[in-house]
Amino acid sequence: MKSTHIIILVLVAAAVCVIVSMFGDFSTYETFASAAKEPGKQYHVIGFLEKTKQMEYDPIKDPNRFTFFVKDKAGNESKVVFSGSKPTDIEKSEQIVMTGYMDGNEFKCKKIQMKCPSKYKKDQVVEGKAG
Amino acid sequence: METQFIGEHLWPGQLGHFFVICAFVGALLSAFSYWRAAVTENVELTTSNSWLRLGRGSFIFHTVSIIGIFSMLYYIITHHLFEYNYAFQHSSKALPMKYLLSCFWEGQEGSFMLWAFWHSILGMIVMFTARNLESRTMTVIALVQVAIATMLLGFYFGGDVKVGTTPFILLRYSMQGAPIFQQANYLNMIQDGNGLNILLQNYWMVIHPPVLFLGFASTLIPFAYTLAALWKGDYQLWLKPTWVWSLFAGAVLGTGIMMGGAWAYESLTFGGYWAWDPVENASLVPWLTLIAGLHTLIVFKATQRSLPITVIFFILTYLLVWYSTFLTRTGVLGNTSVHAFTGEGKPLYWHLIIVLSVMLLASIGFMIYRWKSLPKIKEEEPIATREFWMFIGAFVLLLSAIQITISTSIPVWSPLAKWLTGKDIAPPVDPVRHYNNIQVWVAILITCMTGAVLYLKFKKSDVGTAIKRLLKIAAVAIIISSAIAYLQKINTWQYDLLLFSSVFAIIAMLHYAVFIQKKLKKMGPAVAHLGFGLVMLGILISSYKKEVISINTIGAIIDFGKKSDAENAKESQENVVLYKNTPAIIGNYWATFLGDSTSASDPRTFYKVHYEQKDSTNGKKLESFTLYPDAFVNPKGQMGLTPNPASQHFLTKDIFTYVTSVPDPAQKNADNDFKVHEVMLLDTVILSKGYLIFNSFEKADIKDSTNISVKANLSVYDLKGLVGELHPAFSIQNNTLQSEGAEKLSLMNLEVIFTNIFPQKNAIELMIKQTDDKQDYIVMKALLFPYINVLWLGIVVMVLGFFLSMWNRLTKKF
Repeated sequence: MKSTHIIILVLVAAAVCVIVSMFGDFSTYETFASAAKEPGKQYHVIGFLEKTKQMEYDPIKDPNRFTFFVKDKAGNESKVVFSGSKPTDIEKSEQIVMTGYMDGNEFKCKKIQMKCPSKYKKDQVVEGKAG
Repeated sequence: METQFIGEHLWPGQLGHFFVICAFVGALLSAFSYWRAAVTENVELTTSNSWLRLGRGSFIFHTVSIIGIFSMLYYIITHHLFEYNYAFQHSSKALPMKYLLSCFWEGQEGSFMLWAFWHSILGMIVMFTARNLESRTMTVIALVQVAIATMLLGFYFGGDVKVGTTPFILLRYSMQGAPIFQQANYLNMIQDGNGLNILLQNYWMVIHPPVLFLGFASTLIPFAYTLAALWKGDYQLWLKPTWVWSLFAGAVLGTGIMMGGAWAYESLTFGGYWAWDPVENASLVPWLTLIAGLHTLIVFKATQRSLPITVIFFILTYLLVWYSTFLTRTGVLGNTSVHAFTGEGKPLYWHLIIVLSVMLLASIGFMIYRWKSLPKIKEEEPIATREFWMFIGAFVLLLSAIQITISTSIPVWSPLAKWLTGKDIAPPVDPVRHYNNIQVWVAILITCMTGAVLYLKFKKSDVGTAIKRLLKIAAVAIIISSAIAYLQKINTWQYDLLLFSSVFAIIAMLHYAVFIQKKLKKMGPAVAHLGFGLVMLGILISSYKKEVISINTIGAIIDFGKKSDAENAKESQENVVLYKNTPAIIGNYWATFLGDSTSASDPRTFYKVHYEQKDSTNGKKLESFTLYPDAFVNPKGQMGLTPNPASQHFLTKDIFTYVTSVPDPAQKNADNDFKVHEVMLLDTVILSKGYLIFNSFEKADIKDSTNISVKANLSVYDLKGLVGELHPAFSIQNNTLQSEGAEKLSLMNLEVIFTNIFPQKNAIELMIKQTDDKQDYIVMKALLFPYINVLWLGIVVMVLGFFLSMWNRLTKKF
């Protein structure tokens, strides 16, 4: 056996281990209900802004707290606490992807990604990030 | 009867579309002719030559047509012909001239056009330089051009199947059925276009896309040469041009990628130059495989080994370029990318899949056809040789590319995973950590090899000398990197290892260039490797020690994850409120928001933030600077603000600031009125910040008994002491009381009007208004990037290395 082959075999074995372990790193898309089964664990939740409910952002009180209500794909509603400033144009978002975890009745997140229809562009992705 | 529309300029569009068809037909004819020329080459030379001439002629025709398309679209955009969808969607009258070019690349059609343009220019160079491989290489290039031209055709087959999108489509066709188009004079109602996405209104966006696309386009040339070499079965003619072109592609694509990083750093608010965003990854992966291919090609030149893997690398690189187009242009990334290319629709999706499959099948076909006859060397190569470690390095790059591709492609394969396991897989919660944790190992291995490999020789090395030299360098690197790790407090052992290996690569390459290689012309590899080492060191320090300095110390702490409280607090409190004129601590600085300003010529609002650093012992000012982060406030069609960061660049660090929120101007100044105070002599009036004392009267200007003017002398203090004096005046003219207007002290936002006088009580009446600073504030974030200049320097050095090697190769005989 060539020494090249041995080293490559070692590298491939290492790469396979890395790739297999990598799958544990991947997150999943959940609903509020399924995310609540493991409170504290971070998931992606896709939902829609409840436009009838109050959004709150008072930078004087806390510039890193923005709260709003979201209905997830299963139709359940939850309060969402975003630890950042209010993302631009969230009122117009069609769909919101949030990365965070359930804590009691609240979904806490530090990453929001929105899909915004605008009359000017068919699709636009806007991101709000706390981190 | 059809409506006759008034005021439309139809000829530029018709001419433009005519050029699209010419470009398509020209490419097709050129591909066919070059193919005939290649096939008849050994049969009948005169026939072959006439086919060759036809191929050349039609490729030149094709190139001219593409320039024609470009010119027509430019004409439409610069003349604001909003009857065309492209001009309407992507430009506006107010757009400055320099950004009109950015309109080209904002839309999908424009970027395909840019791509086709570079391909055709590079194709022309290949046409004149490829000699014996010309017919075959140009067949491949022309076929690729056929594929790209179909993207611009905009033809319908049977009403349902749409092939490509023409940039010359009229607005009334693309928005069919809209009531406005019932009117013949609809153009009178369209006064302006939608304008360019404000994120793209940035000088980096003018130059970054052309450079990146030139990089993508230049990977076509090694690919085309490789297929041509397989076709002809000749791998000697192939060597030199492929080598030179892959150096060129490596330099340009590398520059393009980092320009994207610079754009993100200068004008986006990710807080960094690299976020492992799918769009960034999609351009990095082909660069990795290209660099791998370049190295194995060098191995093949020196030792006749590694040919099969080189062929695979160059083919893979170009296919990955198309795959990256597929990822970024079809909306398949959906919710996972920040970048805004979404939903170009199903036709493009299938179009790209078909093009990719055809290329993949053709490449595999060529490889199977020639696999057995590819020159290979049976006997084992010794471990202590340059070729051995270059091969291993290339292989590590391949593994790195595979990992990045798997993670980036989650949205592509997740439907399959859902079908298999029922789980709806999403990207990692923290993508940066995910990629960093894995790729740090690649970086460590690659930097070690980058530093060591040139000390070995091809085929047979003097191992003793090499090891002696490398050990000395490693010893120096350990000392220097330990010092850096200690001073910069880099406490994660993986990153300490990377720190060592980067420093090792830098020293080794400096030493090699200066003491061993000595000849400037041959220094290319050493310089490129040195640049790579600097890039890794710059990334490591600026990212590892990147610090959010705008930690908010007021307000509630939100519990985050399962980390320590300190970390939770840090992560959730990165925005800080700066009240106007009230200094706040940000990192080592006192930062003060001094107000905002707008101008008529610029749609942005600029926020003036002053930073000052004082010596804590004697209060001496150490450094001070003012940043003007800006934002589009309530831009067209949006509410809220779209910020642009501003950075103060120092040699050893950057201070990066951007505004994340401002108060709603409508609510500002709602309850801000003058309040009436009756003040006796030597009385004190308490203000919201400080106080004022009524010191004395001063009778001024007594002309006669009916005309008296009185001044009040007021001293204004804040908590530290006297701020200033105010002298509001009051007059009695013909028994009419009259105040002389407001006196202002802008430092305290104070306005005072003298409104009455009560001589019996020795008192006066003042109306006082102090604008509450708490109503005028910005919410902002500030980051500190130490030693980011090492990264930028590294890029420049690396690219220089590529060009140095190119120069060396171009002037050398093979």
